[in-house]
Amino acid sequence: MKRVVVHPERCVGCMQCMLACATAHSQSGVLFTAVRESPQPRPRVHVGVGLYGEGFPNRCRHCDPAPCQLACLPGAISRDSASGTVLIDPERCINCASCAMACPFGVIRYHPEHHAPLGKTVAVKCDNCLARLRQGRIPACVEACKTGALTFEEADAALKRQTDAVARSVSRTAEEAPPAPGFALLTAARKSQLALKNP
Amino acid sequence: MQYVIIGNGVAGTHAAESIRRLDPQGVITLIAAEKDAPYCRPMISMLLEGSAGAHQLPIRGPDFYDTFKIDALGGDRVRAIDVAARAVTTAAGRRFSFDRLLIASGADPRPIKARGLHLENLFFMRTAAHVMAMLRVLPACRRALVLGGGLVGFKAAYALLRRGLAVTLLIRSGHPLSMQVDREAGAMILAALKKKGLTVRVQAEVTAFEGGATVTRAQLSDGSEIPCDLVVIGKGVLPALDFVPREAIAVDLGVVVDQHLETSAAGIFAAGDAAEAYDIARKTRWVNAIWPEAVAQGRVAGMNMAGRPTPYKGSLGRNVIRIFDLDVMTGGLVNPPPDARYTVLQHHDRRRQRYRKLVFRYDRLVGMVLVNAIEQGGVLLSLIQGEIPLRVRREALMAPSFNFRQLLPATA
Amino acid sequence: MKHPFSENTITEDGRLMLRKMEKDQVETVWERFSAQQPQCGFCEMGLSCRVCNMGPCRVDPFGEGPQQGVCGADADIIVARNLGRMIAAGAAAHSDHGRDLVEVLAAVAEGQAPGYGIGDEQKLRRVAAEFGIATQERAPAEIAADLAQAMQEDYGTRRKSLTLLARAPRKRRELWAQLGITPRGIDRETSEMMHRTHMGVDNGWQSLLLHGLRNALSDGWGGSMIATEVSDILFGTPKVTPTSVNVGVLKADQVNIVVHGHNPVVSEMLLQACQAPELIDLARARGAQGITLAGLCCTGNELLMRHGIPMAGNHLMTELVIATGAVEMMLVDYQCIMPSLGAVAACYHTRMISTSDKARFPGMTHREFHPDNARELARTLVAEAIENFSRRGEVYIPVAPAPSLGGFSVETIIEALGGSPAPLIAALKSGQIRGAVGVVGCNNPKIRHDFGHVTLTRRLIENDILVVDTGCAAIANAKAGFKVAEAIRYAGPGLREVCGALGIPPVLHMGSCVDNVRILVLAAALADALGVDISDLPIAGAAPEWYSEKAVSIGAYFVASGVTTVLGPMPPITGSLNVVKLLTEGLADLLGATFAVEPDPEKAAVLIRRHIENRRAKLGLPAVQV
Repeated sequence: MKRVVVHPERCVGCMQCMLACATAHSQSGVLFTAVRESPQPRPRVHVGVGLYGEGFPNRCRHCDPAPCQLACLPGAISRDSASGTVLIDPERCINCASCAMACPFGVIRYHPEHHAPLGKTVAVKCDNCLARLRQGRIPACVEACKTGALTFEEADAALKRQTDAVARSVSRTAEEAPPAPGFALLTAARKSQLALKNP
Repeated sequence: MQYVIIGNGVAGTHAAESIRRLDPQGVITLIAAEKDAPYCRPMISMLLEGSAGAHQLPIRGPDFYDTFKIDALGGDRVRAIDVAARAVTTAAGRRFSFDRLLIASGADPRPIKARGLHLENLFFMRTAAHVMAMLRVLPACRRALVLGGGLVGFKAAYALLRRGLAVTLLIRSGHPLSMQVDREAGAMILAALKKKGLTVRVQAEVTAFEGGATVTRAQLSDGSEIPCDLVVIGKGVLPALDFVPREAIAVDLGVVVDQHLETSAAGIFAAGDAAEAYDIARKTRWVNAIWPEAVAQGRVAGMNMAGRPTPYKGSLGRNVIRIFDLDVMTGGLVNPPPDARYTVLQHHDRRRQRYRKLVFRYDRLVGMVLVNAIEQGGVLLSLIQGEIPLRVRREALMAPSFNFRQLLPATA
Repeated sequence: MKHPFSENTITEDGRLMLRKMEKDQVETVWERFSAQQPQCGFCEMGLSCRVCNMGPCRVDPFGEGPQQGVCGADADIIVARNLGRMIAAGAAAHSDHGRDLVEVLAAVAEGQAPGYGIGDEQKLRRVAAEFGIATQERAPAEIAADLAQAMQEDYGTRRKSLTLLARAPRKRRELWAQLGITPRGIDRETSEMMHRTHMGVDNGWQSLLLHGLRNALSDGWGGSMIATEVSDILFGTPKVTPTSVNVGVLKADQVNIVVHGHNPVVSEMLLQACQAPELIDLARARGAQGITLAGLCCTGNELLMRHGIPMAGNHLMTELVIATGAVEMMLVDYQCIMPSLGAVAACYHTRMISTSDKARFPGMTHREFHPDNARELARTLVAEAIENFSRRGEVYIPVAPAPSLGGFSVETIIEALGGSPAPLIAALKSGQIRGAVGVVGCNNPKIRHDFGHVTLTRRLIENDILVVDTGCAAIANAKAGFKVAEAIRYAGPGLREVCGALGIPPVLHMGSCVDNVRILVLAAALADALGVDISDLPIAGAAPEWYSEKAVSIGAYFVASGVTTVLGPMPPITGSLNVVKLLTEGLADLLGATFAVEPDPEKAAVLIRRHIENRRAKLGLPAVQV
């Protein structure tokens, strides 16, 4: 089964995934009209800043077991067994934020949502774009990402690539050029600038 | 295998599920003092407030016991445990043998000392039944007095204020939630409550209640009196352990358990508000009578009871409340001793209306208070629970931009 | 002990004012910078393109996503186009500033600019002669009219090469001609850059960059140079003047008026008004001891250079000075004025006035200055500022002003040297002074405020390298105390001796950002005196904290003129290693100078010192290994 895999070293912080995610969860499905909807759709993936100005698309891992599901007071969080997706029922949610207390990744946000009762603030997080998957499409964040920081693939395939990369890196004879020397230059400059700020 | 579980709160419920998942054949007997199906205790204040209906409280469906093949006895209390004979006896006179026993009897409201406790309209707020009783008399009440600035008193005061009563909150310390928050956050919370019309009296106690059949006023220790027609007593809880033989099972405030939630008596476990486990932040045994710990302890106790050894690292006091326009999330050791091992960082950003206090023991986070901007508080709590040595500067955790990425190793 | 806000700035007044801003709950540029993180890597690498509506496009630096825009432009082209447009914008800003001055010169010639006049008649004649204008026995007004006309021609499309290029060494001009980058017209080169970077025009990344250099040269030897020369003609050539810097120049018992922006056509009129006796009397009548005029950024530098007017701060200080609660009025014209200032001022009693038809700002009252109304409007506004004095709330001026010395135009430097560059050349030859570096440019929240400028400058003068500075860098170094006579104690033995003998500090304040051309003129003079090209000289440029497009243009014209320049913050070029390589290596073969990027000023100092010793060795001068 394919899942969304995050490759943090590829994130350039452009936040396209956030725009695409919010748009995908809007009523109109189009960016220009989505921003004018009420309630305004919000992203479920959050690009936070690292220590060196790098970006990171922080999304729900759909943990198993899910700490949020165990913490939820009214039992509003459940798992879709077919896809393993952890889902929040906006009707049941009482906006107590127990899930925020439980989530070690900080991926849950609280705001009105067009699937929730009108005006009710509820907990909202990534739903694996189940609606899009049923239409034969891929998750919106993956579709938007042009650097390959977010991919939609079998977990095994991603793991194998990583294993191969590690194997190559410890091999004495293998020579590997960095995948993006320009980005490495930029990162080095950012790190230097940040280091200068800490006296 | 005979499993007996005392208590059908969330700890007992999760324990039963864990056991059944690992042991399809074992006999599970669950003895509960309350008649209701397992329900979400933290939500009873929402019942009082009117923001939730009774139908929202149950945490399992009506066929739960059947599906999990649990023999559930409601409305009966365990009277004694015969550790040597490995059996429990109940108030109704029934006797159950066990191979594995779980004490998940929860806690009862701590009583107060005052005259006039026989009067009507004095309530604790521990069970759904307490709240239903309050709701029956509520229409006739105008002035509520709430004793205790802890979580129960606090939530009761908030709920009654939302119901339109004039509410006075009487607390022993200088600000509400003195066990959860520090002075600065406490002042912010107090100011928010007062702004919404709550009257707060600090450093005062009730010596007597007076009235005809129902209460009409309370006498305070400083000689003053407060008119009131409804009183809620929220002065904490004490583990409900009168049936536990202390010569056979070690009990401190709660039943003492090890990292497998097992008591000093082999095969007897404890979980939830009744249990006293190791507190990760305090580094000593402590009763953390909160919902998420009852869940975790019940689950793990059940696994251990069913024969899968599963360690439980320890409990952590923590809480999250949304109160009028403030959100407050707290956890761990919030008011450390003045000790060179501890570093405290705190900042009140008045422009963003955000307060954050972080307590570090050497290079580990051990406590936090967040007022507003709580969405990612779980990241910090996981650092406390995991006792993770920090590789980043402590100040980074204070910034509005702090997020999970900053805990990952930097990319090349 | 770590002070709060010491991450943001090394300056004491900066830290204290940041703390005040936090207490007053006023947002600053640093908070907005933090909120922008992470900044988009596509854009930081120069790999995003919004030039046409088939886009917007981006190129994946990791090689898997799209490698070309919709039109087929690859990373090299996109990066080069983006850089080209930055140069065009910067050159346009400087050149437009020059144009406004030329228009005032023309208006003065026609007698249509009350308050303005000819401040340095000798310079008028000298510059006019460079433009081939007869000056013998002609009245200044006539010469000025002809000069304005001729300069306006340089802006246009009729020339084959800009007039003031003649000031560059012949070898350098020949190099430009060979490369085909001789600037022909000031507006022309900017216009052509906009044309070339339109979709489907110049898709050669090298030719784009070459035109970028040409565009920059049209600024350096064109628009900016005209700006500086005409400013000297109108308002006087700077002479050595004592002055002071930091927020302490504001006075608790005086009406404080701050000028911000760039063009002295506005600030000079404000200065006149602030000195008017009847307005000083009015101030006294309203309970103040007098009127203090202080500057921010380059227009402040212009007043400082010519009149010793004190400077309240540089780019990142512009919001902070308002929080003193002591500024009755801030008047701005254009460039480097943050649109947030109106919101900051609204938290205090400060009145914000915009003065240029080209520059409106939220929360500011617009009172437009033109050559014919400037003098009167300045007086009216100063009177209004005086009326604002009684509306002060809490005043917080937590530091005493730091003394400094300014006014080092090329003319003044030559004078200080005794009338000719000979002593400086002798010191260079002997090695008492190893070389000279221009530390220039802005502030940027990416770099700890003033840390880049001050650290680099300290390391250079410690190693007997004379530093000249302009713009925000000049304020940073002044605040750090490098511009008093006693500052020679920070210098190495050789520099200390030379400066001590001449009675000058080891860091010479040469002016505003358009005054970077003074450095070019000085370098040209030294090159001619030694019979070499500018690129042979043991000199370098540095912009340790640059932010603006103007800085890109300045850096480009410095390098194109033969001055190797080290930048602090990384420009948006990392998306194309070809472009990076050309700018940091390839240009050495073409122009004898390159760019380097090094955010750490300690490392930048080593780079520069190595470069200087290398040039010394090539000239046959005593050199050391760095």
